[in-house]
Amino acid sequence: MTPDLLGLLRVLSEAEVRYIIVGGVAGGMHGALRTTLDLDVVYARDRANIARLVAALAPYHPYLRGAPPGLPFTFDETTVMRGLNFTLTTTLGALDLLGEVTGGGSFEQLQPFAESAVVSGFQCSVVTLPKLIALKRAAGRAKDREALAELEALLEERDNPTP
Amino acid sequence: MYTRHMSLRREYELPADPVIEWYKKDVDRTLLREHLKLTPQERLEKLVAFMRSLETLRISRTAR
Repeated sequence: MTPDLLGLLRVLSEAEVRYIIVGGVAGGMHGALRTTLDLDVVYARDRANIARLVAALAPYHPYLRGAPPGLPFTFDETTVMRGLNFTLTTTLGALDLLGEVTGGGSFEQLQPFAESAVVSGFQCSVVTLPKLIALKRAAGRAKDREALAELEALLEERDNPTP
Repeated sequence: MYTRHMSLRREYELPADPVIEWYKKDVDRTLLREHLKLTPQERLEKLVAFMRSLETLRISRTAR
Protein backbone atom coordinates (compact mmCIF):
# COMPACT_ATOMS: atom_id res chain seq x y z
CA MET A 1 0.00 0.00 0.00
CA THR A 2 1.30 3.43 -0.92
CA PRO A 3 1.27 5.59 2.21
CA ASP A 4 -0.91 8.67 2.10
CA LEU A 5 1.67 11.00 3.59
CA LEU A 6 -0.31 14.14 2.88
CA GLY A 7 -3.39 12.50 4.38
CA LEU A 8 -1.54 11.64 7.59
CA LEU A 9 -0.15 15.16 7.90
CA ARG A 10 -3.55 16.66 7.22
CA VAL A 11 -5.19 14.51 9.92
CA LEU A 12 -2.60 15.54 12.52
CA SER A 13 -2.60 19.21 11.58
CA GLU A 14 -6.39 19.57 11.36
CA ALA A 15 -6.67 18.07 14.86
CA GLU A 16 -4.09 20.66 16.04
CA VAL A 17 -1.72 17.96 17.22
CA ARG A 18 1.66 19.48 18.14
CA TYR A 19 4.27 17.52 16.22
CA ILE A 20 7.51 17.96 14.30
CA ILE A 21 8.28 15.96 11.17
CA VAL A 22 11.66 14.21 11.30
CA GLY A 23 13.16 11.32 9.29
CA GLY A 24 12.83 10.68 5.57
CA VAL A 25 9.79 12.88 4.98
CA ALA A 26 11.63 15.81 6.59
CA GLY A 27 14.56 15.06 4.27
CA GLY A 28 12.18 15.01 1.31
CA MET A 29 10.68 18.34 2.31
CA HIS A 30 14.16 19.84 2.40
CA GLY A 31 14.92 18.47 -1.06
CA ALA A 32 16.44 15.01 -0.52
CA LEU A 33 15.61 12.50 -3.22
CA ARG A 34 15.42 9.32 -1.18
CA THR A 35 11.98 7.85 -0.85
CA THR A 36 10.53 6.71 2.43
CA LEU A 37 7.58 4.56 3.32
CA ASP A 38 6.76 5.94 6.74
CA LEU A 39 6.16 9.22 8.46
CA ASP A 40 8.23 9.92 11.58
CA VAL A 41 7.02 12.63 13.93
CA VAL A 42 8.09 13.78 17.38
CA TYR A 43 4.90 14.60 19.32
CA ALA A 44 4.38 16.70 22.46
CA ARG A 45 3.75 14.52 25.52
CA ASP A 46 1.34 16.77 27.40
CA ARG A 47 -2.03 15.21 28.19
CA ALA A 48 -4.06 17.54 25.96
CA ASN A 49 -1.88 16.87 22.94
CA ILE A 50 -1.98 13.12 23.50
CA ALA A 51 -5.79 13.32 23.67
CA ARG A 52 -5.86 15.17 20.33
CA LEU A 53 -3.41 12.69 18.79
CA VAL A 54 -5.41 9.65 19.90
CA ALA A 55 -8.71 11.13 18.71
CA ALA A 56 -7.23 12.17 15.35
CA LEU A 57 -5.80 8.74 14.59
CA ALA A 58 -8.69 6.63 15.90
CA PRO A 59 -10.60 6.50 12.57
CA TYR A 60 -7.46 5.14 10.88
CA HIS A 61 -7.12 2.08 13.13
CA PRO A 62 -3.60 2.49 14.53
CA TYR A 63 -1.99 -0.83 15.41
CA LEU A 64 1.52 -1.94 16.31
CA ARG A 65 3.51 -2.49 13.13
CA GLY A 66 4.78 -6.03 12.71
CA ALA A 67 2.72 -7.38 15.61
CA PRO A 68 0.40 -10.33 15.03
CA PRO A 69 -3.28 -9.44 14.74
CA GLY A 70 -5.49 -9.83 17.77
CA LEU A 71 -3.12 -8.52 20.45
CA PRO A 72 -4.85 -6.66 23.28
CA PHE A 73 -3.49 -3.34 21.99
CA THR A 74 -5.63 -0.26 22.24
CA PHE A 75 -4.30 3.03 21.02
CA ASP A 76 -5.74 5.26 23.70
CA GLU A 77 -4.50 8.01 26.00
CA THR A 78 -3.43 5.57 28.71
CA THR A 79 -1.35 3.53 26.26
CA VAL A 80 0.38 6.63 24.90
CA MET A 81 0.99 8.07 28.39
CA ARG A 82 2.54 4.76 29.53
CA GLY A 83 4.66 4.36 26.41
CA LEU A 84 6.95 6.73 24.53
CA ASN A 85 7.75 5.70 20.97
CA PHE A 86 5.27 3.76 18.82
CA THR A 87 5.77 2.25 15.38
CA LEU A 88 2.28 2.01 13.96
CA THR A 89 0.37 0.96 10.91
CA THR A 90 -2.69 3.01 10.05
CA THR A 91 -5.05 2.83 7.09
CA LEU A 92 -3.25 5.95 5.81
CA GLY A 93 0.19 4.33 6.06
CA ALA A 94 3.02 3.65 8.48
CA LEU A 95 3.48 6.21 11.21
CA ASP A 96 6.26 6.39 13.80
CA LEU A 97 5.26 8.44 16.82
CA LEU A 98 8.31 9.48 18.80
CA GLY A 99 8.04 10.90 22.30
CA GLU A 100 11.79 11.41 22.19
CA VAL A 101 14.38 11.14 19.47
CA THR A 102 18.08 10.32 19.87
CA GLY A 103 20.12 13.50 19.64
CA GLY A 104 17.04 15.73 19.73
CA GLY A 105 15.16 14.84 22.89
CA SER A 106 11.52 15.71 23.39
CA PHE A 107 9.18 17.87 21.30
CA GLU A 108 9.97 20.89 23.48
CA GLN A 109 13.72 20.36 23.10
CA LEU A 110 13.40 19.95 19.35
CA GLN A 111 11.05 22.89 18.84
CA PRO A 112 13.80 25.55 18.52
CA PHE A 113 15.12 23.50 15.60
CA ALA A 114 11.82 23.31 13.73
CA GLU A 115 10.48 25.48 10.95
CA SER A 116 6.97 25.91 9.59
CA ALA A 117 5.84 24.74 6.19
CA VAL A 118 2.47 25.06 4.51
CA VAL A 119 1.47 21.87 2.74
CA SER A 120 -1.80 21.65 0.82
CA GLY A 121 -3.17 24.58 2.82
CA PHE A 122 -2.34 23.27 6.28
CA GLN A 123 0.52 24.24 8.54
CA CYS A 124 3.07 21.73 9.76
CA SER A 125 6.42 21.83 11.52
CA VAL A 126 9.51 20.18 10.12
CA VAL A 127 12.91 19.84 11.73
CA THR A 128 15.58 22.05 10.14
CA LEU A 129 18.03 20.45 7.74
CA PRO A 130 21.13 20.90 9.99
CA LYS A 131 19.25 19.40 12.94
CA LEU A 132 17.98 16.51 10.81
CA ILE A 133 21.60 15.77 9.92
CA ALA A 134 22.57 15.97 13.60
CA LEU A 135 19.74 13.54 14.51
CA LYS A 136 20.79 11.03 11.88
CA ARG A 137 24.41 11.31 12.99
CA ALA A 138 23.39 10.80 16.62
CA ALA A 139 21.39 7.68 15.70
CA GLY A 140 24.70 6.19 14.52
CA ARG A 141 23.15 3.65 12.17
CA ALA A 142 25.38 2.32 9.41
CA LYS A 143 22.48 2.39 6.92
CA ASP A 144 22.14 6.15 7.40
CA ARG A 145 25.61 6.97 6.11
CA GLU A 146 24.54 7.19 2.46
CA ALA A 147 21.45 9.19 3.37
CA LEU A 148 23.66 11.50 5.45
CA ALA A 149 25.95 12.07 2.46
CA GLU A 150 22.95 13.24 0.45
CA LEU A 151 21.62 15.45 3.26
CA GLU A 152 25.01 17.07 3.83
CA ALA A 153 25.47 17.65 0.11
CA LEU A 154 21.99 19.19 0.11
CA LEU A 155 22.97 21.51 2.96
CA GLU A 156 26.12 22.54 1.09
CA GLU A 157 24.17 23.24 -2.09
CA ARG A 158 21.47 25.15 -0.21
CA ASP A 159 23.71 27.35 1.92
CA ASN A 160 26.62 27.68 -0.43
CA PRO A 161 25.52 26.81 -3.96
CA THR A 162 28.04 25.64 -6.51
CA PRO A 163 28.65 28.62 -8.79
CA MET B 1 38.77 22.70 -2.99
CA TYR B 2 36.34 21.89 -0.20
CA THR B 3 37.01 24.99 1.90
CA ARG B 4 33.47 26.36 1.57
CA HIS B 5 32.02 23.03 2.65
CA MET B 6 34.45 22.76 5.56
CA SER B 7 33.37 26.16 6.86
CA LEU B 8 29.76 25.08 6.54
CA ARG B 9 30.46 22.01 8.67
CA ARG B 10 32.03 24.24 11.31
CA GLU B 11 29.00 26.53 11.30
CA TYR B 12 26.69 23.61 12.07
CA GLU B 13 29.19 21.77 14.30
CA LEU B 14 29.30 18.77 12.01
CA PRO B 15 32.71 17.13 12.30
CA ALA B 16 33.94 15.53 9.09
CA ASP B 17 33.09 11.87 8.85
CA PRO B 18 35.33 10.08 6.33
CA VAL B 19 32.66 7.51 5.43
CA ILE B 20 30.06 10.19 4.75
CA GLU B 21 32.61 12.17 2.75
CA TRP B 22 33.34 9.04 0.72
CA TYR B 23 29.66 8.53 -0.12
CA LYS B 24 29.26 12.23 -0.86
CA LYS B 25 31.42 11.92 -3.98
CA ASP B 26 28.65 9.91 -5.62
CA VAL B 27 25.73 12.18 -4.75
CA ASP B 28 24.07 13.57 -7.88
CA ARG B 29 24.04 17.25 -7.02
CA THR B 30 22.32 18.25 -10.26
CA LEU B 31 19.11 16.59 -9.01
CA LEU B 32 19.49 18.20 -5.59
CA ARG B 33 19.85 21.64 -7.19
CA GLU B 34 16.67 21.06 -9.18
CA HIS B 35 14.85 20.03 -6.01
CA LEU B 36 16.08 23.09 -4.14
CA LYS B 37 14.21 25.27 -6.63
CA LEU B 38 10.89 23.79 -5.44
CA THR B 39 8.82 24.67 -2.37
CA PRO B 40 8.52 22.12 0.48
CA GLN B 41 4.97 21.37 -0.71
CA GLU B 42 6.13 20.75 -4.29
CA ARG B 43 8.90 18.47 -3.01
CA LEU B 44 6.47 16.49 -0.90
CA GLU B 45 3.99 16.20 -3.77
CA LYS B 46 6.79 15.00 -6.04
CA LEU B 47 7.82 12.41 -3.45
CA VAL B 48 4.22 11.18 -3.11
CA ALA B 49 3.76 11.03 -6.90
CA PHE B 50 7.00 9.09 -7.24
CA MET B 51 5.91 6.60 -4.58
CA ARG B 52 2.55 6.15 -6.35
CA SER B 53 4.35 5.53 -9.64
CA LEU B 54 6.56 2.94 -7.99
CA GLU B 55 3.50 1.21 -6.55
CA THR B 56 1.86 1.15 -10.01
CA LEU B 57 5.00 -0.39 -11.48
CA ARG B 58 5.13 -3.01 -8.71
CA ILE B 59 1.48 -3.93 -9.27
CA SER B 60 1.89 -4.16 -13.04
CA ARG B 61 4.95 -6.37 -12.58
CA THR B 62 3.22 -8.81 -10.22
CA ALA B 63 0.09 -8.87 -12.45
CA ARG B 64 2.00 -10.36 -15.40
